[in-house]
Amino acid sequence: MSDRKITLEFNDKVVRQFLLASLIWGAVGMLVGVLIAAQLNFWRLNLDLPWLTFGRLRPLHTNAVIFALVGNMMFAGVYYSTQRLVKARLASDFLSALHFWGWQAIIVAAAITLPLGFSRGKEYAELIWPINIAVALIWVVFAVNFFWTLAKRREPSLYVAIWFYIATIVTVAMLYIVNHLSLPTSLTHSYPIFAGVQDALVQWWYGHNAVAFFLTTPILGIMYYFLPKAAERPVYSYRLSVIHFWSLVFVYIWAGPHHLLNTALPGWLQTLGMTFSLMLWAPSWGGMLNGLLTLRGAWHKLRTDPVLKFFAAAVTFYGMATFEGPLLSIKSVSALAHYTDWIIGHVHAGALGWNGFMAAGMIYWLLPRLWNKPLHSTALANLHFWLGTVGILLYVAAMWTSGITQGVMLNGTTEKGTVLAYPNFIDTLNAIRLMMLMRVAGGALYFVGWLLMAWNLWQTVRGAQPVNGTIEVFDEEPAAAHEADGKLTLLGAIFNPPVLFSILGTGFACAWMFGGHLLSIAGLVGLLACVVLAYAHFESRGKSWAGWYERLLVNSLPFTVLTFIAVAAGGLIQIIPTVVAHKGATVEDRRQIPYTPLELAGRDLYVSEGCYNCHSQMIRTLVPDVLRYGDYSRLGESIYDHPYQWGSKRTGPDLARIGGKYPHVWHLRHFEDPRSISADSNMPNYPWLLQRDTDLAALPRKISAQRTLGVPYPPWTDLEIVTRASDQARAIAQDLRAAGAYIAPEKEVIALIAYLQSLGKYEPVAARPGASAQ
Amino acid sequence: MTPTPPDSHDDNALRPHTYDGIQEFDKRLPNWWLFTLYITIVFWVGYWGYYEWFRAGPDGPKEVTAAMAQIEAARLASAPATDDASLWKMSQNAVFVEAGRATYVATCVSCHHEKLTGGIGPNLVDQLWIHGGRPTEILAVIDKGVLAKGMPPWGPVIGPKKAAEVAAFILSFHREGEPIQKQDAWVPIVPVPK
Repeated sequence: MSDRKITLEFNDKVVRQFLLASLIWGAVGMLVGVLIAAQLNFWRLNLDLPWLTFGRLRPLHTNAVIFALVGNMMFAGVYYSTQRLVKARLASDFLSALHFWGWQAIIVAAAITLPLGFSRGKEYAELIWPINIAVALIWVVFAVNFFWTLAKRREPSLYVAIWFYIATIVTVAMLYIVNHLSLPTSLTHSYPIFAGVQDALVQWWYGHNAVAFFLTTPILGIMYYFLPKAAERPVYSYRLSVIHFWSLVFVYIWAGPHHLLNTALPGWLQTLGMTFSLMLWAPSWGGMLNGLLTLRGAWHKLRTDPVLKFFAAAVTFYGMATFEGPLLSIKSVSALAHYTDWIIGHVHAGALGWNGFMAAGMIYWLLPRLWNKPLHSTALANLHFWLGTVGILLYVAAMWTSGITQGVMLNGTTEKGTVLAYPNFIDTLNAIRLMMLMRVAGGALYFVGWLLMAWNLWQTVRGAQPVNGTIEVFDEEPAAAHEADGKLTLLGAIFNPPVLFSILGTGFACAWMFGGHLLSIAGLVGLLACVVLAYAHFESRGKSWAGWYERLLVNSLPFTVLTFIAVAAGGLIQIIPTVVAHKGATVEDRRQIPYTPLELAGRDLYVSEGCYNCHSQMIRTLVPDVLRYGDYSRLGESIYDHPYQWGSKRTGPDLARIGGKYPHVWHLRHFEDPRSISADSNMPNYPWLLQRDTDLAALPRKISAQRTLGVPYPPWTDLEIVTRASDQARAIAQDLRAAGAYIAPEKEVIALIAYLQSLGKYEPVAARPGASAQ
Repeated sequence: MTPTPPDSHDDNALRPHTYDGIQEFDKRLPNWWLFTLYITIVFWVGYWGYYEWFRAGPDGPKEVTAAMAQIEAARLASAPATDDASLWKMSQNAVFVEAGRATYVATCVSCHHEKLTGGIGPNLVDQLWIHGGRPTEILAVIDKGVLAKGMPPWGPVIGPKKAAEVAAFILSFHREGEPIQKQDAWVPIVPVPK
């Protein structure tokens, strides 16, 4: 070891780049958000233009906020803090630059393809497959750059922020890849390999944990670095960090099915989703506590420092949202709140309050340090804070009121519970119009606050000289040298009391939940014994647990492996049985009839227009749902749906059994001008569906892909496929003509009508599974 | 499993290590926080046992099927008299007709027009009837629908009372004993696109 000191310069250029990108894309994402919120009240704002309709812009809004605003902000924060926490410059300037420019290229590609209607039809996973591959590759670039930097670190021990970054990188890679597995049919179109209930489960395993590992864990890491820095106070509790980190990453993964309560998802998964969501409450609040209690002794600084104001409010909103989440996961609460604006309010408390305010706090803290110039105006930053806070409160209060109002109206019955109180869906929409307007106002206020920050940034950095941070370090062999004194092999990482007790406990818990009677009881006994033994061991040898963990902290690879095991467990246990058990050949009760070629073409249009953003296809096992929409949806009725289209929001009514309910001409008029059928509808007009031709030529490739994925299509030739499609289209056009509407059979609207009229068709299946398999 | 400290623990001591100047306390976990964690874990064990092991709790599909059967029974029991004579009588009673008008405006106008002269669905004020013009036949169409023609079954949605009121409202445009002519099909009136 040499004691010669050298000066190390951090790569802060890439931090500045990501920071600016977050600010700019964030503004774009919010602008789109305000626009689509306004469209819900004023349908004319859809402007009769395909690429400006709500169904196409809502995915743009969600993707922009998640991947562009929070993504870029996360990368800026991770890169800035990691370099300092591990005392090493980012491993590769090339990879850093590739990461930045690659990510921006992906965002631009998303901003072009989503309005054009290229979509995979799964929420927050809409981007088409070539972009999916790019995202995965750039994520690998990020991972390599990050772990290579860890390998070169001069600080042997990993700080809690780094734990959260590791969990983020590993888990997002796993979630993203599995949920984007697709079979391409062209350069811009693919079918997800999962269907129906499997696709729903995988989607919400991904969707819920994107919230966890893209919007929560990296931001918690950022909180653990920037909040104590800004408050100049020690972190409240290291042991709380340890407990809440591991419980959070382990429990979060299991909670995905709470997005599918009361649906056709098997009951045991719903029970897991609900109970694990409740168990997530304390681990989430552990993060909030460590944030807020770190501010003890620094509260007076809030009066003067906008950075701390933003952080304190952000952590408070985090606490609010992570209390609301478990609450909404209770089955009976979900029966009221699901599909309504309450959920929209919940996610915005998180996105605007937690993510947006953490971003703002971090940006205001970094600006003077990255450009070596004081912030242009603290007063403007304070104004931003208040505009943002009032905006969030308006938004969230409006959505609570709206969601509960509409939920109560939709579920309300009269005449001793035998009849719906509001049979007309439009009545429930009209009841929330004022609240939807308030939401636009709240969102607009928040957006104005964000623009103030952009102006403040511009005034600060204009003419300022960017500076890169430096640090004096001893010139020595990094990392590896340090690990020698606390070297932990992979076996050593697993064969030690805390990990073994955890693995045993999880094993017993699974035996109890999934085992037969004897195994189940043995599991429960084992679980209790495991808890008691672990407690006793900890009481007598607790120091060895603490010592082992300190050693784990200087071994980044074993730490990463343990994190991966913790996050992979829940997904494996939920997804594998579902994928194995629920195939078209084995479902009970009812089985979907595969779509005709024309219906399939129509379905692809349904996906492409983003109809699922406002319409569900899932009648829950709830009396009001059955009264309104018909018999509850069975698991087998969407078993061939690649992707599933159960939806998550009912801005309009459910469509699971719309097939055959109205004549073709009803649908035609409704697409042309929804208000000609239902006076106060807020659905956009779809005039282009009556002008554009259906792409029948693509059908043979699409059906071949569906066949590969297991949909039992007969061995039609390409010609047969196209002929069948055009025959059916002609029949529909003829029927429309008889009804006085003249429309050419090749138009898109014909295919879409064919699809809608097929919804809810099924064949009965004998009770014995597999009895009538193909 | 439990993070209580094994030995006496100085809550105000800082951990020896600092990271980029960030120090850490190692304070005890708040009891109420631990209690929240434990209680949710106990709840999970109990809830799983109750629903998945003993199967003692309500099961969604079974529950909704039973509830719908009860609703059906209640509707049958409370259904108003629906013979031709009483429906004609209802059609002359302003209370029934006005209630029927309200339901008609909310539910039927989009296809049958506010003047009942027809649109996507047939005219209801002429003397031509596709599925029969007797009061009970009209009520049956409202209640059960004609799926092949695109008339949804409204009975399950609005219930038997409102269905009878709507029938009474339609009948208020007719007179008992007027001729009933058979019509084969209705050609929808499609407005010229704007």
